Amino acid sequence: MTSILSKLLSLPHLFIGALILLSGSCSRIDHKQSALDPKGLVSQNQYDVFMLSVWITIFLFCAVGGCLLYVLWRYRAKTAEEAKEIPPQSHGNSMIETGLIIASAIILVILAVPTLQGIVLLNRVPDANDTETLEKLGLDRSQIDGAITVNVTGKRFFWVFEYPQYGIVTANELIFPASKAVRINLRTEDVIHSFWVPKLAGKMDLMPGQENFMWFIADQSKIIGDEDAATAMPSVHDGEMRAQVFAKQKFTDEFEPVGGLFYGQCAEYCGNSHAYMSFRALAQTDEDFDQWVQRFQEAQNPNLQTKNYDPSQSYSKGSLVSFADPKLGSGANREYRSIRKTAPGQSPQLNPGAWEKAHSDDYEIGKQLFGSLQCVQCHAVNRTGLGAKGPNLTLYGLRTSLAAGWMRNDEESLRKWLKNSNDIKYGNLMWNGEGVDDRHPLRNLENDDVKVDQLIAYLLGQS
Amino acid sequence: MATESIKYVAPDTENKVKTQVFPRPGQHTTGLVDWLTTIDHKKIGLMYGLTALFFLIIGGIEALLIRSQLWDHNMTVLTNREYNQMFTMHGTTMVFLVIMPLSAAFFNFIMPLQIGARDVAFPRMNTLSLWCFVAGGIILNLSWFFTGGSPAIGWFGYAPLTDTRFAEVIGDMGPDFWVFALQILGVASLLASFNFITTIINMRAPGMTMMRLPLFTWMTLIVSFLIILAFPAITIALVELMFDRTYGTNFFDFLEGGKPHLWQHLFWIFGHPEVYILILPAMGIVSEVIPVFSRKPLFGYGLIVFSGAIIGFMGFAVWSHHMFTTGMGVVATSAFSMLTMLIAIPTGVKIFNWIGTMWGGRIRFDTPMLFALGFITMFMIGGFTGIMHSSVPIDAQHQDSYFVVAHFHYVLIGGALFGLFCGFYFWLPKMTGRMMSEKLGKLVFTLMFIGFNLTFFPMHYLGMIGQPRRTHTYNEGHGFETWNQIATIGAFILGVGIVIGIYQFVNAFFNKKLKPAGKNPWDARTLEWTLSSPVKEYNFARTPIIKARDQAWENTYGPKDNQSEKEPLDDHGVHMPDRSWWPLITALGLFGMCLGMLFHRNIDPSGELVRNYTFAILGGVVMVTGIIMWALEGPGGYHLFPKEDEE
Repeated sequence: MTSILSKLLSLPHLFIGALILLSGSCSRIDHKQSALDPKGLVSQNQYDVFMLSVWITIFLFCAVGGCLLYVLWRYRAKTAEEAKEIPPQSHGNSMIETGLIIASAIILVILAVPTLQGIVLLNRVPDANDTETLEKLGLDRSQIDGAITVNVTGKRFFWVFEYPQYGIVTANELIFPASKAVRINLRTEDVIHSFWVPKLAGKMDLMPGQENFMWFIADQSKIIGDEDAATAMPSVHDGEMRAQVFAKQKFTDEFEPVGGLFYGQCAEYCGNSHAYMSFRALAQTDEDFDQWVQRFQEAQNPNLQTKNYDPSQSYSKGSLVSFADPKLGSGANREYRSIRKTAPGQSPQLNPGAWEKAHSDDYEIGKQLFGSLQCVQCHAVNRTGLGAKGPNLTLYGLRTSLAAGWMRNDEESLRKWLKNSNDIKYGNLMWNGEGVDDRHPLRNLENDDVKVDQLIAYLLGQS
Repeated sequence: MATESIKYVAPDTENKVKTQVFPRPGQHTTGLVDWLTTIDHKKIGLMYGLTALFFLIIGGIEALLIRSQLWDHNMTVLTNREYNQMFTMHGTTMVFLVIMPLSAAFFNFIMPLQIGARDVAFPRMNTLSLWCFVAGGIILNLSWFFTGGSPAIGWFGYAPLTDTRFAEVIGDMGPDFWVFALQILGVASLLASFNFITTIINMRAPGMTMMRLPLFTWMTLIVSFLIILAFPAITIALVELMFDRTYGTNFFDFLEGGKPHLWQHLFWIFGHPEVYILILPAMGIVSEVIPVFSRKPLFGYGLIVFSGAIIGFMGFAVWSHHMFTTGMGVVATSAFSMLTMLIAIPTGVKIFNWIGTMWGGRIRFDTPMLFALGFITMFMIGGFTGIMHSSVPIDAQHQDSYFVVAHFHYVLIGGALFGLFCGFYFWLPKMTGRMMSEKLGKLVFTLMFIGFNLTFFPMHYLGMIGQPRRTHTYNEGHGFETWNQIATIGAFILGVGIVIGIYQFVNAFFNKKLKPAGKNPWDARTLEWTLSSPVKEYNFARTPIIKARDQAWENTYGPKDNQSEKEPLDDHGVHMPDRSWWPLITALGLFGMCLGMLFHRNIDPSGELVRNYTFAILGGVVMVTGIIMWALEGPGGYHLFPKEDEE
């Protein structure tokens, strides 16, 4: 009885059972953050080494576990008398012991070699001149030469993505060209965070006072699959990505709606809201990426700030000017776009027919509220600069997610978020940060549907 | 006790100070005073064990709260801060207040019996170690009741999250409690370790050569060395952190030129040997149990001893594998990766040798053996995932995910805790003199085994599909729910198993209806089984003269030459040391000093920071007085006269 019990309970059965259970009920393993579904060169390498280690250990487990089972069965004491017998008191065999030590060492070498190769790969972008290595990795020289650099800064509890080559900055959604290597410089301004997009590469920590480096390159063929590039990687710059993501799936679906959308998360405990510190990475074709960069450059270029209407100047068709609109309140300006070429002095007031409102009233009021409700103290938008306590909200309407990847960026979620972000992310710094208390206007939006709608119009209107 | 005794009269020269305050309690002290002042290694071991079991329940409740919170996405059983406090306290409690003291309980109780000693080398120091451990446990858990509640920094308290600059509650005291608790627990561990090393090296019975030491004693020795070499590192780190937090120094403050990396190095140069401090005692226990229930000597005794020593030694050379993702560069990561893989070899050797021990034996499946087998299989899985993590490319994905959580629970529950439960089922008959119910024992094993695997096996998969550890919740749409629910169910099954087990252990001490154990119920092999159960106050009436490695076995089955002899009874009997109040008072002083340091800061009405050290100094004075009085109180003691044939 006892021996049967112990055998039933011994591990190999359970292990195999669990494996069957796993493979049976999880026919798909490509969950949003699954490291089992690598879609980049580095993550593929990490996956391959992992699978090698899995097979090695399954082999070892079966060998040693099988041996153990055999011993337990073969040498079990079947009767009470047998349990009192005295077997030969042998106590060692140096041949067997040495043999097993050597065998273990050999097995470790099998794992050690790809490990060392993997360490080099994940730490260093291959040299563009090293054709041999590039060939081995299946890379083209242009993929390395055209590499982009992203400076990632972790903050409690969101991500800042800065593109030094282009002079632009965004937050929580990393846009990158699928065909190019992406160099990531990791920095933090507070505690340690860890940058992890499982499908593209393993994690690397953001250490205070030190700049860490990692890189990844997506595997376009895996992203695109059977679809064409435009379907798998909808363009971000014109809002196509957002539309596609929203159209194809509910937020709660388990698998990503389009191939080019990657999910990432902070993987080093960084405080109260560590669990909420996620982000996304969106792959783009080269052309779409360039266009996105251009849009951001324009949006963030302080020289392109919409100027006040100058009566001494003539404006070509499509020019944007800032001009007073008493409807929005005394002294408030709004943006006008000229419908046709206008002569000097033909201001929107004098010649309304020559100008159209660039944005809806709600947008313009929302924009003012964004300042008057003190949002702007923490959030930079468009040209208002890089440094900020909260995420940069430039071209916010293009984003697919809200609250550091936690919710879908649509009106409904944004409304909930603005009204009471503490309900959604308990302890978030927008609600609880320094200087925010019950008198802060943000905390008084809960019953002010009008203002909330105007803010939404402004934020989502930036696309 | 069937022994007559007389009061031992110490020569005048030795009787330096006869204190009127807290005089040494006499021979016939019983009850509470006896337990507070005892210097008997067996009673200290029991108190260590029972306190640790109590903390096991506390840490277990914390674990179940964690699992309840993760039952489904966006649960609100705990707030995020409460959750973060839970996993911090769960980790700290389980490592420092459960696994280490449970090992210490067995070291205390069993090791002197295994080497033929009447007590440890420094019995009063042993008592001090116990009370320091209790004080540390109290200080850690006091944190719940003060500003900010318990620490929410993770059990390895990574800088700069511990810096006051990043405190999420104004005036958060949690990390301060954590720092002082760990310091005082370090004192406890160091005291015990020096004691055990001295005992094992100096107090072995005649004939008990080093290579005749039972495996468990060997592991005690190795672990004690690990502790005295590893704890200074964390002591320094904690002092620096305490200075950073209390006096505004900049050891870890990167904005002032400090280095958060430094904390990680200091912590893990302690923390990795700590892992072996936790697992080697369990390996020692299993190495005792498997030969007994296979009725064969340990296969490759020498190799197991040396592999234990090598594991301990190499444990100091692999700490940075906890830091593969912190950007140490290609060379350092490669070196630590290879060294970590090498450690798999001595670990594998142990497993091979345990199987070799069973080979050709007559295997009985009593509860201790089931736990030992559970240990081998669970530890194998934990070891294999450990090999995976030694490979940096794999670790880059696994680090800080649930895969790692699965890995170290396989090592620390499937390994250490199963090993320690194995020890309880194996040695409690010796401690209590009573046999526990086999049926209930097997039920406990079944529940624990099933519950444990249900809880932690799915976590491998959860980690692979991207659930990071230490996240108080997860969003919908990641596919985490099902596996977390299985894990939560498993955790409760495991909890039930452990609670029944603890009930059974405690019951064994009080339930007079249980079957008496007799000297050697398992037909076991080592020296402690030649003694009566429970063991007499003086352990060995006559010091044994050891002739062979498995002395109890040789005495029954071995040739005449291998059977142990005994030294003749002395005229003046067995000298027993007196109990003492001073270790307890010294520990109280230390406890008061820590509390004084914790609460020395105040903001006066004008908003100025006021430091008031009165209480801390008072505590220090008590501690120093305790040490001085301890040194001066003289040997004291009494003599017992066991009969010729008594064990």
